[in-house]
Amino acid sequence: MSPDLRARARIWLRRAWALTVKEYIQLFRDTILVLFLAYAFTLDVYVAGVGVNWQLNNAGLGVADADKSSASREIAARFRAPYFQNLGSVASPEQGLRLLDQGRLMVVLDFPPDFGADITRGRQTSVQMQVDTANSAVGSLATSYGAQIVGRYGLERALGVAELDVDKIHGVPFLIDENRAWYNQNQEDSWFMALAELISNMTLLAILLPAAALAREKERGTVEQLMVSPLSPVQILAPKILAMGSIILAGLAAGVFGVVMGLFHVPVRGSLLLFFAVSALYVAFTAGIGLLIATVARNLAQVGMLTVLVFAPMIFLSGAWTPPEAMPGWMRVLMGCLPMHYMLDAAFGILLKGLGPAGLWRELLGIIGLGAPILGLSVWRFSRQFR
Amino acid sequence: MNATRIMALAQKEWREILRDRLFFALSFIVPALLMLLFGYGLSLDVENIPLAIHDLDRTPQSRDYAYRFIHSRYFAFQGYVTDEAQAGELLSSGRARAVIVIGQGFGRELAADRPAHVQTLLDGTFPYRTQVTKGYITAINTALTRELLAAYMVRTKGLSPARAAQYVDPVRLEVRYLYNQGLKSSWGVASKLIMALLLMCPPFLTALGVVREKESGSIYNIYASNATRAEFLIGKLNPYFCIAFINAMVLWAMACFIFGAPFKGSVTAFLASTVLYVLCSTGIGLLISVLVKSQIAAMIVTAVVTAMPSMLYSGLLTPVSSMNLSARAVAAVFPAMYYGRIIEFCFLKGLGWGHVWGDMLILAGYTAGLFLVGYAMFHKRVAA
Repeated sequence: MSPDLRARARIWLRRAWALTVKEYIQLFRDTILVLFLAYAFTLDVYVAGVGVNWQLNNAGLGVADADKSSASREIAARFRAPYFQNLGSVASPEQGLRLLDQGRLMVVLDFPPDFGADITRGRQTSVQMQVDTANSAVGSLATSYGAQIVGRYGLERALGVAELDVDKIHGVPFLIDENRAWYNQNQEDSWFMALAELISNMTLLAILLPAAALAREKERGTVEQLMVSPLSPVQILAPKILAMGSIILAGLAAGVFGVVMGLFHVPVRGSLLLFFAVSALYVAFTAGIGLLIATVARNLAQVGMLTVLVFAPMIFLSGAWTPPEAMPGWMRVLMGCLPMHYMLDAAFGILLKGLGPAGLWRELLGIIGLGAPILGLSVWRFSRQFR
Repeated sequence: MNATRIMALAQKEWREILRDRLFFALSFIVPALLMLLFGYGLSLDVENIPLAIHDLDRTPQSRDYAYRFIHSRYFAFQGYVTDEAQAGELLSSGRARAVIVIGQGFGRELAADRPAHVQTLLDGTFPYRTQVTKGYITAINTALTRELLAAYMVRTKGLSPARAAQYVDPVRLEVRYLYNQGLKSSWGVASKLIMALLLMCPPFLTALGVVREKESGSIYNIYASNATRAEFLIGKLNPYFCIAFINAMVLWAMACFIFGAPFKGSVTAFLASTVLYVLCSTGIGLLISVLVKSQIAAMIVTAVVTAMPSMLYSGLLTPVSSMNLSARAVAAVFPAMYYGRIIEFCFLKGLGWGHVWGDMLILAGYTAGLFLVGYAMFHKRVAA
């Protein structure tokens, strides 16, 4: 490198650094903002992990037992914790319906009068299960567990055994299924929720902070000062990404080490270095979306609305809250256009599944391939607006 | 309280909003667009789960078994794998969420009337999806076991096929889905989305509207004017409340006519609750705007305080009753849960005033509290 070039590079860096420091100062003067940033990466992640539960948990169960035989009692007793919580018997199916209406019960089991006698006589009988499916996720889980409980009971009766012990079944054709859930054997919701919440908050801030930082300059007119200074558009934008991005990554580190690993004991299988490298890449490119918003918006209020417009669909469709397999086909195409979707896959891939860089080419391609053009577009629009 | 001054302030605010055309348009477009997107996209009916099969047996029986999965609408068959490493590769890359391993001797054991083993490997990263997948697989396995047992009974005990089928399935479970017969999540989701979107959008508008004046300094005009605090707040919030209420009506119409959510309950009860709820979410925006100094902080605080809770803690995705204590406490702090219950009563359950008044009372108290605190904390004098 020639001395001349080196000197120019040094000046370039010093200017960029000065602007970065300016962003830090501006951000840290806003006490409430800093407090909420800390909240978003720690307490919020913790509460989401601890509290939000996708499992069927203590679903209120009422039993309308017109039979009162040992068979009906046996089946009702199998609807137990952790999935169901037997809240006692209801006098009639009508009363059960009323309790369902009021939201006090979620499931009502209704045994017909001759239930036990029919079973003893070997005649097929049925039990009715009324499920409140106003919330369809939990409603379908309740149905699924109910079918498993009753199906198991039926097989036991058919085989004439007291308990279905797969080791003790001989001499009959029978299917023995062993399930193994990889990557999260005990099916801890907290692992998924905490990580998903962390990535969601990271995405929100990666869009909003740079967007607001740039739009504020536009609104106050200080961007004119930057324009007459000897700075190139890249030199004006890069410090914003650098300053906000580094703060977000620091928050991410607090969330990962403090909450995800510290409190939820998620066993990290892959390389943390790789995870933070991919996150840094993701934050930098997602900041491009924010900067693009800031070039479109004329004031901060517009930035706010545009951010909601962009962020809310992103978080919804990225797979953070609903599995991609539950989406209609055209939505999944849309999903493929969201960088956050790839970041989520990368985060779960590295942290839970232990993927290395070789297994992440699709995610990296998604993050870079979608992010780079947006970042480029925002730089181009910004330089065109102010030249 | 001077009506002329309130009118003047409201008029000024309206004009300011109307002149910012992008902002004005977005304040209506955003909720409607999100409703469309989420209404169609936010489904929890898991289908087409990518599945691979590792058939170590390769007999007609094992192929028959595999076809039960291949032809199921719940699974999208991704092909056979030939070894364990390949199965692990598919699961870790997410190209398969489940791999069925059919053990060696599957066909031989079953033909000899002995139990046969299959193994299911599931991608456990998203526990809900894993549970649902497991449920589907268990259902298919139970059905096959029943058929095998019935055939066995026919052969060994000489029962008629119909009798054997009854014998192996003595108790049938008849499921009746209440309130949402098709188990279509779009119904339930569309009506609940009204609640989530009305908690997300109005506070954003309100908080930005007030903090904008603080940040640009135009609030000093108010400080110096003879308008009282109450007059300023009423005049200022008037347009935001109106916009939010119009949005509420638009969302209601969309839920009913586009997504076909059945509205069976009382219209007046629903309207009254909606007015309260919209006031309440406007009040949240007011409170935030009083607390923060900059628009950036207003946006972040609003997003963290409203966007996440309106989705996660409102009962939209998972019911409040299945949350643990700390999350239930968070849910109880936000108004969404109460309005969510009202929506459930009015839409799916077809109930009226008699059921909703309790939640309305809570909403009213909540709103009054927000406005009182907002009023008390808003000062016309700059803090020294």
